[in-house]
Amino acid sequence: MKIDIVTPLGRIFQGEIKEATFPGVDGEFGVLEGHSPLVTTLQPGLITIKKENGKEEVIAVNWGYVEVTPDHVNVLVDGAVPVVGSSESEIAQAIEKAKQLIKDAADSDALVAAVEAKIESAARAI
Amino acid sequence: MATLKELKSKISSVKNTQKTTRAMKLVSTAKLKRAEESLLMSREYARKIDEVMKEISAKLSSIKDSINLRAFANIQEPKKVDIIVVTADKGLCGGFNIQTIKSTLATIEELKAKKVKIRLKVIGKKAIEYFRFVGIEMYEEIVGLSSSPDYKKAAEVIEKSYNDFVEEEIDNIILIYNGYVNKLTQMVHIKEMLPIEVEVKDSQEFLEVEPTDDYELILESLVKKYLEYTMYYTLLDSLAGEHSARMQAMDAATNNAQEMVKQLTLEYNKVRQENVTRELIEIVTAIEAMKKK
Repeated sequence: MKIDIVTPLGRIFQGEIKEATFPGVDGEFGVLEGHSPLVTTLQPGLITIKKENGKEEVIAVNWGYVEVTPDHVNVLVDGAVPVVGSSESEIAQAIEKAKQLIKDAADSDALVAAVEAKIESAARAI
Repeated sequence: MATLKELKSKISSVKNTQKTTRAMKLVSTAKLKRAEESLLMSREYARKIDEVMKEISAKLSSIKDSINLRAFANIQEPKKVDIIVVTADKGLCGGFNIQTIKSTLATIEELKAKKVKIRLKVIGKKAIEYFRFVGIEMYEEIVGLSSSPDYKKAAEVIEKSYNDFVEEEIDNIILIYNGYVNKLTQMVHIKEMLPIEVEVKDSQEFLEVEPTDDYELILESLVKKYLEYTMYYTLLDSLAGEHSARMQAMDAATNNAQEMVKQLTLEYNKVRQENVTRELIEIVTAIEAMKKK
């Protein structure tokens, strides 16, 4: 399954993946190959991507659309911060940025807290 | 024949012009680089949103009749359309603006032949000046947006048209602009934005929209986003095109000035030579005349 994540400032991620989880407005949902066609909006949260090699990548997004087809997924978001880095300081920076993005976009404190906790635990897994 | 003094001042004035055109070329090159960067960054998103809209509209055919959105409606004969023209605010960029204007005039003629009413929205001083000069009525004039693209302002412009479209005031939105292809080429684009064409396919493809209870709202917001972003991208594209056109025009002007300086210098030398010869002849004849006495 192919995935393409783009923001108005450029492409964030593109490639082959096994599965992905999205923060949909109606709740979190996962997508595997062969998913029925779907269009929905996202709320501030994390997109989790499981790559072909089993590695996971986490990307914080503020708001956008997802279009799912059986063989590919298109994600159009307004802002996105991948929580990645090769050194600890880089990861820490990415976490800060991701948290800020969520804080600016979310309308409830509960949501911010929930997403922040998720970012933290995702970062520990790196 | 021009005097030496005249020629000298002509040469220096051409040289001054050359300095200006060269400076303008350098400025355009720098600005083009920046415009190109922001264009490339947003190109992916623009392409993707285009693709997503197309895919969605292809899949909508099965539930088309149940959608109550005018953006996906089938409008056979448009009666009134909005034309949005984007040109630069500044000139001195070769045929960049006039190409867009010509295409606009051709489109207007075509639509008039079909008895379609037109509302002209013009972004960019150059086109506004032109349409004012030839006496074509404009519905809206926007200055300053094409030289510094702004997402919010671009969205405002297209949203007004979209709202009129929803209110059935207009039946189509046509976007005309001169876009950037590469450093040497620009291309005029004429895009029909609405309604979004729904391809009627026999295949049993379907599309789920979540949350299901207000899927029209989601589709509409997606359409709006698509329009807004296309408008914004158009401005970026036009700006990059403008700078590349100006860079080319100024480069040509610099070369022309160089050629002119060469010609004038040649003429200057000829005149000087002539003067020297004439003076010599005068002296010699004067001496000869004195000898005879």
